[in-house]
Amino acid sequence: MQQERAVNPYDRFPMVIVEHLIKRFGSFNALSDVNLTVARGEKIVLCGPSGSGKSTLIRCINHIEKHDYGRIVVDGVELTDRIRDINSVRCEVGMVFQSFNLFPHLSVVENCMLAPLKVRGLPQSEALDRAMALLRKVRIHDQAKKYPAQLSGGQQQRVAIARALCMQPKIMLFDEPTSALDPEMVKEVLETMVELANDGMTMVCVTHEMGFAREVADRVVFMDCGSIVEEGDPSTFFRAPNTERARVFLNQIVH
Amino acid sequence: MNSLDFSIVAQAWPYLWSGLLLSLSLTVAAFLIGMLLGTLFALVQHFELRILSQVVRSYVALMRSIPLILVLFWFFFLVPIVLGHLSGNGRPIPTGATYTALITFGLFEAAYYSEIIRVGLRAVNKGQFEACQALALSTFDTYHHVVLPQVFRVASPIILSQTIILFQDTSLVYVLSLTDLLGAASKLAQLNGRLVEMYLAAAAVYLILSSVASQFVASLRKRYAVAGTYR
Repeated sequence: MQQERAVNPYDRFPMVIVEHLIKRFGSFNALSDVNLTVARGEKIVLCGPSGSGKSTLIRCINHIEKHDYGRIVVDGVELTDRIRDINSVRCEVGMVFQSFNLFPHLSVVENCMLAPLKVRGLPQSEALDRAMALLRKVRIHDQAKKYPAQLSGGQQQRVAIARALCMQPKIMLFDEPTSALDPEMVKEVLETMVELANDGMTMVCVTHEMGFAREVADRVVFMDCGSIVEEGDPSTFFRAPNTERARVFLNQIVH
Repeated sequence: MNSLDFSIVAQAWPYLWSGLLLSLSLTVAAFLIGMLLGTLFALVQHFELRILSQVVRSYVALMRSIPLILVLFWFFFLVPIVLGHLSGNGRPIPTGATYTALITFGLFEAAYYSEIIRVGLRAVNKGQFEACQALALSTFDTYHHVVLPQVFRVASPIILSQTIILFQDTSLVYVLSLTDLLGAASKLAQLNGRLVEMYLAAAAVYLILSSVASQFVASLRKRYAVAGTYR
């Protein structure tokens, strides 16, 4: 880091505030009146059937999807149409995609260095040190010179996590990070995410990995048809969900 | 003309060489101008800049629908007249054959390169753009460091093939009285009556250079298929 941040007056406030969020795709209501608050250090697992709006919700948080109505405030900055606001939010929000989305023409370490160099303006040596440190953290530093296509899916996803962490985000969003992986590779990615959670990172994860949810989530949020239907701590939610829709969903994913 | 005598080719070599140099330098210059403009044109269309992309689209359609030789004539006669009007005294200002050729080839090829790059831009996965957004990369950095390098890699075999065609098309500069490789061979053939030898020699040079370039295209294809990393 170039300099230590001054005391952030927003530190007492939640990391993310989502109020009355509405997002439409044409005539389809992807999100209708969603309210969600993510506290600092909180780990939230978003689950729900496909098309329930969970991916759309987290994609709105870093403005990859533009919301139609409502308010999103991330670390004290409200997302408006202003590029400056959008970029300052995106700098603090790391994202991991289902399909990894690594840059295929850049080596693993170059993937990790690009944004710190271009966006944070770090000098080359510092960006390299940071990238190697984070690649070591996700246990993939020995592959730093390789290209993404030479790695397994699990390895690629761990690189994607390291790449996001290189921006030193305050919150990490995970959009079904293990859904595109072969079963034997799911574990290595989940382990990395658990470590990250144990380090105190604020996390919002869209995932159907219920073991992961039980282990790290402070709160499970269940969505259906573009609304939050139910939320609660994982043990209660998994043992005795309040709503019929959640019960049906849990039954389906267990089998 | 009873038997083939290639010693004549050896004698004529310095003249052929100077012709070849013109062909090659025209190719390189037109490639650079064409790629630069072509990339710009492709980006204008990619960003769907309202009026500008209409203009570019018409320009590309026009250039691709008329013969290169006609464009050469146009520029040779039109540009001096336009320059003359712009300068105010109304008298045509000659631009010279070499500059005409250079500008024409560059502008003409730009239309073709822009189509190749435009298609390449469409082929880049949406996830690549989203990853750039998530990392807060600016639009410039996104295209400069992530999108265009991938486009150039994927499209490089097609770009090179187009450049080989460009190299062969430079022989059209004879209409501007410039002497390229073929022009040189042709002049000497008329002069010394050794048409078969001279044209065979010119063909051999084109064949060798084009097939070396094609080999290079093939090796590029292979390299990007292995470590070049496309899923």
